[in-house]
Amino acid sequence: MKKFTLFLVLAVFFALPTYAVKRPGFGDRRYSITGMVEYSYNTTWSHHGNFDVQALLPINPHFEMETKLQFSTANVYTSVVQLRPKFQLPVGELFIETDVLYKAVARNRMNDLTAALGIGYRMDYVSVTLGVFSRVMADWGRSWYSDESFVAEPFNVLYRVEVFCRPQDNPWNLSFCISNVDDYQMERMWQPLFMAGAWYDVDNHWRLIFGAECKPTGMFHLDATFYGATARAGFTYKF
Amino acid sequence: MKKYLIILALGTFVFAACKNEEATLDVLGMFSSQGPTVNTRFEQSLAYNDSVGELHFDMGQDEYDIYVCADSHITRKEHRNMDYFMACYRQAPSPKLALHLGDLIDAQKNFAYADSIVHYAGQTSNDTLLLTLGNHDIYFCQWDLYRARFRTSAYWFDTRNGSKKLDLFICLDSAEGELGTKQTAWLKQLLAAKSQEGYRRIIVFTHTHLWKLDSSQGHTSNYALEATYELTSLLGQYGVYSVWSGHQHARQLVNYKGVEYRVLNATKDAESGQSYMIATMGEGVNCRYFDYPKQ
Repeated sequence: MKKFTLFLVLAVFFALPTYAVKRPGFGDRRYSITGMVEYSYNTTWSHHGNFDVQALLPINPHFEMETKLQFSTANVYTSVVQLRPKFQLPVGELFIETDVLYKAVARNRMNDLTAALGIGYRMDYVSVTLGVFSRVMADWGRSWYSDESFVAEPFNVLYRVEVFCRPQDNPWNLSFCISNVDDYQMERMWQPLFMAGAWYDVDNHWRLIFGAECKPTGMFHLDATFYGATARAGFTYKF
Repeated sequence: MKKYLIILALGTFVFAACKNEEATLDVLGMFSSQGPTVNTRFEQSLAYNDSVGELHFDMGQDEYDIYVCADSHITRKEHRNMDYFMACYRQAPSPKLALHLGDLIDAQKNFAYADSIVHYAGQTSNDTLLLTLGNHDIYFCQWDLYRARFRTSAYWFDTRNGSKKLDLFICLDSAEGELGTKQTAWLKQLLAAKSQEGYRRIIVFTHTHLWKLDSSQGHTSNYALEATYELTSLLGQYGVYSVWSGHQHARQLVNYKGVEYRVLNATKDAESGQSYMIATMGEGVNCRYFDYPKQ
């Protein structure tokens, strides 16, 4: 009986994408490029600006790739590659998030390399992602014959819960999100980020994007205080 | 109706957590600190440091022991391990010092129970316990209670043999998981100046650990990543020998950029793997760990 139930669940799971109704807003197969500027402040790096470039490359209906670059005036440079298998379901989209994030912290002469694997489900009003990631931090001047300048943080939990005010196919939207990751950082699991975002589709090609982010510290020390904030604005062009 | 019930339940939970005589969960503090922030605490600490002058311990010889414990989380019922640690330390032959790496107490109104274990007012060179501030020590606006006893949360002291400088110790306030702008600037200046003064080594001790290598203890949060990058770089740049911290309740040793990062087990009663450390400071540093007696 158990085997039959399992077979049934798997059959439905894999059959669903075949019969999924194609909804606007989900599974958009157009290439797009995004540019953003950010003003950011935190108590460590003080005031700084960031310039972001992102490219979305849908390869087929079930697979897309996204690359992201960030140049920061704090002398930190970040690149991200995301491979995202996805499945259209009648009520949303199931996706698997595989990310590799490399941060060159030139101001401190060190690297931060993070690899993540997560599973997510996106509907009109809610998107949820849950996963794990590992991190390796290494000194630029490290000797390869020593383990002294290399630290691995093997296990962290990745989470992201985002709610939207309007359906995904609406020409404008507002979103609120709590997560320990954003486009260019993967914080430790007890270091949440609070984000708000908005978009407005000017026409079929151009989308304006706005966002804000707050990063407190010490929330799970039960003595939280403000650490940093970011405001961003940009555009997306869909080909 | 359901919505109102949820709001009522949450409100009751927050109210109960705040009004409980010995509450352990500062729910409001999770979203916003209820006491002064690290910048304010640092200013108050610096004002006290300036009023009393520099702190030097003449050890009388080049080699001495430092007894180090962390996370005692003293409550009315739980202070057996801390009693044991202090008894071992007091009975040990001189020269010696003792450090507590934060979370002396567990929660609200627990300082009263710590008063009988740590003799704040009567500390002499034979009974000196130097502390750093932990997050549990400042829940429920308890910074004033901590300050009334230990006066300062950010300071430095050194050990000497007569006029010969031995080791420099720097205590940082990381109770909120960050150092703040003022303390960071002070640390940079202090390290730049003191690293030129010919100390054998520089030891930094603070509560919050810098690396998240161990996830076995649940919600032990760290510094923000930017602060981790910056602080580890700074400590490496000025040749800090070792950083001692607690918070994680699980022993750990990491070497990064020439700096040794030691995290200690907890001293808290009724917790597995409790231990304290004795560091013998001589030409080298010999760190040994001792388990607390089984309960």
